[in-house]
Amino acid sequence: MDGDEMSILSFKDVWKVFPQDKTELVAVKEFNLEVEDREFICILGPSGCGKTTLLRMIAGLESISRGSIELNGKAIQGPGSDRGMVFQDFGLFPWRTVVKNIEFGLEIRGISPQEREKTSQKYVDLVGLKGFERSHPNELSGGMKQRVGIARALANDPAILLMDEPFGALDAQTRNQMQKELLRIWQETKKTIIFITHSVDEAVFLADRVVVMTSRPGTVRTIHNIDLPRPRDRASQDFINLRKTILDELEQQRQGV
Amino acid sequence: MTEKERSGLWWEAFRREGVKIALTVVSLTAFLLIWWGFSIYLDSIGLRYLPSPDEVYNAFIISAIDGDPFTQLPLINHIVASLNRFVWGFALALAVALPIGLLMGASKYSRYLGMPVTEIMRPIPPLALAGFFFAAFGVLYGPIITVFYGVFFPVLYNVMFGVRSVDPILMDAARTQGASRLQLFSKVILPFTVPYLMTGITIGLGIGWMVIVAAEWIAAPGGGVGALILSTYTNGAYQYMFVGIISVAILGILTTSLSRVLESKVSQWMGMK
Repeated sequence: MDGDEMSILSFKDVWKVFPQDKTELVAVKEFNLEVEDREFICILGPSGCGKTTLLRMIAGLESISRGSIELNGKAIQGPGSDRGMVFQDFGLFPWRTVVKNIEFGLEIRGISPQEREKTSQKYVDLVGLKGFERSHPNELSGGMKQRVGIARALANDPAILLMDEPFGALDAQTRNQMQKELLRIWQETKKTIIFITHSVDEAVFLADRVVVMTSRPGTVRTIHNIDLPRPRDRASQDFINLRKTILDELEQQRQGV
Repeated sequence: MTEKERSGLWWEAFRREGVKIALTVVSLTAFLLIWWGFSIYLDSIGLRYLPSPDEVYNAFIISAIDGDPFTQLPLINHIVASLNRFVWGFALALAVALPIGLLMGASKYSRYLGMPVTEIMRPIPPLALAGFFFAAFGVLYGPIITVFYGVFFPVLYNVMFGVRSVDPILMDAARTQGASRLQLFSKVILPFTVPYLMTGITIGLGIGWMVIVAAEWIAAPGGGVGALILSTYTNGAYQYMFVGIISVAILGILTTSLSRVLESKVSQWMGMK
């Protein structure tokens, strides 16, 4: 790819090595990828392939053993509010109400209460939580909890949104609904999204590009451009064909081809 | 829902509550009657260490108005004196155990440093040390320090456990939101620990209350419920001794209900209920 100045996030020969008792565990190796601004990337791979580790490295929650990840040309050193993260198990603060959860990052940055309220209301409206502002997380369903998680991540106005199997804890119906909601939010906020999943269906439904990782040590195996127009129809022949291609690829990988 | 159904539900709730109240009355009446019967029986065979409820009631009135004939202090003085020691010992324990518990929970090294000592001291019943505390700190501060010792460890250990139980995802979430180390502490660890602190307080209240009565047996200048119980016991004035016992029971019930209400209010306020 020659559009280097176009890319917002670039992985340059990224490695992650965990020291074990006597040996080393290589979780990620030689990972290279350029992500463009406003792109929706899904990273797909078998469990234990290092995809969550990769995401945590972007978030700055894990150190990078070798190579570098650059956001807008600057190497990532640690966590920061320029990257918003959404967790599979929500990670909401149970003692904070919906708005107080959303305002967390603004509070951290010392934004004034009036300003915080304006911002959190904007994101409450965006993710469809109107009427639940004063609720605590334990009063919300899984889908609504994750709406809070998304709003909280967006409230800092980050350059990219990192999502670690965000709908993995939801039932199938809520999951499909949340996927549509996420696409709407993505189109309204014009964010770049890195989305981890192990569902081929989810990846093909959401992504501009699907990055398939190898099993451990994880690296890029193939990249699929999903050129289907949105909203995508899961029952369309193109969708089914793409799904099948990727599923076959994962199956081959499982058999060690 | 029709009017009839609604009144049916109301009737159902009333009946359930009514049954509960009726059984409570039955239980307390039975308790009183058995006590009464026993005291009459024991009295008839020449044993008079169990006074009857009416004797205790009369002794209660005398204690409350003029004070019992032995300590000659009104009951309220004893209660205030005990509460005073209790509150100071409790407050002191909280003030010391909370910061140490937070520190030992948050830092591995302070845990390595603190644990050997606390592990040796924790199993020692506070009353085993009461004599030492009275000798070392005098009769004024001795009982306070004894209560302190009883409350200190449950608060310390619960707070430490609370800090160590902080959900790592919450820490990650706060870090990705740009929280500094200090903010992680004040905005994640501290609020997360509050319910654990409340548990420590509830346990500490129970222990502190047990400890104070026995500590006052050693010495209690200015009175105290424990002193009342001991001096009436040594004089064989059992009806007055029971006045002391019942006072302790009532105060104990009040303190534990207070902490329970506080605990549930806190968890409600924190949305963790």
